[in-house]
Amino acid sequence: MIRRYWNINLKEMLETGVHFGHATRKWNPKMAPYISAKRKGIHITNLTRTARFLSEACDLVFDAASRKKQFLIVGTKKKAADPVTRAAIRARCHYVNKKWLGGLLTNWSTTEMRLQKFRDLRMEQKTGGINRLPKGDAARLKRELFHLQTYLGGIKYMTGLPDIVIIVDQQEEYMALRECITLGIPTICLIDTNCDPDLTDISIPANDDAIASIRLILNKLVFAICEGRSSYIRNP
Amino acid sequence: MAATTVTLSFLSLHTATTSTPTTRLSLLKSTTKLHPFSFSLSPKSPFLSLLSSHPKIITTITKANSSDIDTSFFDNVNPEEEVVFDPPTPPEDYIPPPSFDEGPLETEEEIAAAYEELYGPAYSGVSVLGKDIYVMDSKVKKTSGWSSRSKKEKIKDGFDERVVQVRRVTKVVKGGKQLHFRAVVIVGDKQGQVGVGVGKAKEVIAAVQKSAIDARRNIITVPMTKYLTFPHRSEGDFGAAKVMLRPASPGTGVIAGGAVRIVLEMAGVENALGKQLRSKNALNNARATVVAVQKMRQFSDVARDRGIPMEELWK
Repeated sequence: MIRRYWNINLKEMLETGVHFGHATRKWNPKMAPYISAKRKGIHITNLTRTARFLSEACDLVFDAASRKKQFLIVGTKKKAADPVTRAAIRARCHYVNKKWLGGLLTNWSTTEMRLQKFRDLRMEQKTGGINRLPKGDAARLKRELFHLQTYLGGIKYMTGLPDIVIIVDQQEEYMALRECITLGIPTICLIDTNCDPDLTDISIPANDDAIASIRLILNKLVFAICEGRSSYIRNP
Repeated sequence: MAATTVTLSFLSLHTATTSTPTTRLSLLKSTTKLHPFSFSLSPKSPFLSLLSSHPKIITTITKANSSDIDTSFFDNVNPEEEVVFDPPTPPEDYIPPPSFDEGPLETEEEIAAAYEELYGPAYSGVSVLGKDIYVMDSKVKKTSGWSSRSKKEKIKDGFDERVVQVRRVTKVVKGGKQLHFRAVVIVGDKQGQVGVGVGKAKEVIAAVQKSAIDARRNIITVPMTKYLTFPHRSEGDFGAAKVMLRPASPGTGVIAGGAVRIVLEMAGVENALGKQLRSKNALNNARATVVAVQKMRQFSDVARDRGIPMEELWK
């Protein structure tokens, strides 16, 4: 893996507030190496480490994208749902922004059946088959389509299990993380001071509460994915 | 409404399937990278590398195919160390790219076209580039493990299955008794790989199939010497079952009872002695042998880890 320049500067990170952690009494002692100070009852993460890890993560993602791997971005916090969708669409990745259904990856065969149902319903809606049914049935199908769109909308282009999963908040997406661990999928995770850095493969100590900090980190990763894809197109 | 379970034990059945050559998927082999930073490769154990190097067999279970993603950088990071952030210098005409939020919103068509180029139409139901929408149907029918062809559905990947025990278990509910069958199956090629699995279903055959799939998920390798026996004694326990395993000279055969014998036979061990010491429960004893076998190490590995020649170990 060659190292490239990813435009990560510490000043930008300070402005967006990446270095803020959670309250002191909620910390996880395993995060001690990544915490640099304690100010006003909040832990402050060490930004040099964050920057280093972020650049390594970008390199890895660039490498994987240039080898045509599939990505999945998971972020179900209300604040993060919108940035995650836009980032994933921009990077042409799969995403989960509403609730993560249990067994989405470990029970992939069942998820596939749901995806097929989703596709069939979409087809029916397009060809207007729903309007021919009585009102009650039509309403039921529309509701089902709406539910499937919210939960599975981001993964409708997924043909198999993803190769790398990017998770936005470890505490919130614990189920997703557990599934990836059982399946052996490498994960990149935004770790805050109350999270466990040993669970994921690549941890980026950062603030997961502020929208600005999530945007910044997703920005870098998405840029890396786009670059990787374009380099694949240039020389497959 | 209290639910109690009542078990009736049956005689153990023996089934065998044909064996064919296996194909193994080898996982990550870490490539060496040039670091401009020197990290002390301290003997601290790496992150539990999920891309560990024991081969996994794929049957109808979907497994991630992340075999060549190199995450080895993060295995050796020592968090106590001083990390220096020293990025490579930007090229001269570097303009920071726009954030994903800025810029015009792409239309749905553009997004759909871009996704379709990358992944094919998959499950989206629309096909902007004119590809076949139902492309996933053929793929799914091939790989679905729960298909109804139960009569001739035998997973041919070189593993023999043997049913250790089938019990009829009951759950008592308000309306009466609900019967299920619980099958314990041991799966192995005779070359050092075994797995123990349990499965419950309302029919015996379905239970046996479920347990075979479960067994293929947890396969271990048995360390064996060239005379097809263990390197040394070991004891393993699981629950209330305790099993003692002992190597034997060639020509002895497997001298062990019940579940232990089946596990050792499916592993390909020819000469061994084994005893079930405490409980006689078949499933727990099978799991205890697996635990005992996992504790064993080859002499060469021990010598390498301790850094001494092998002759010293036999003094």
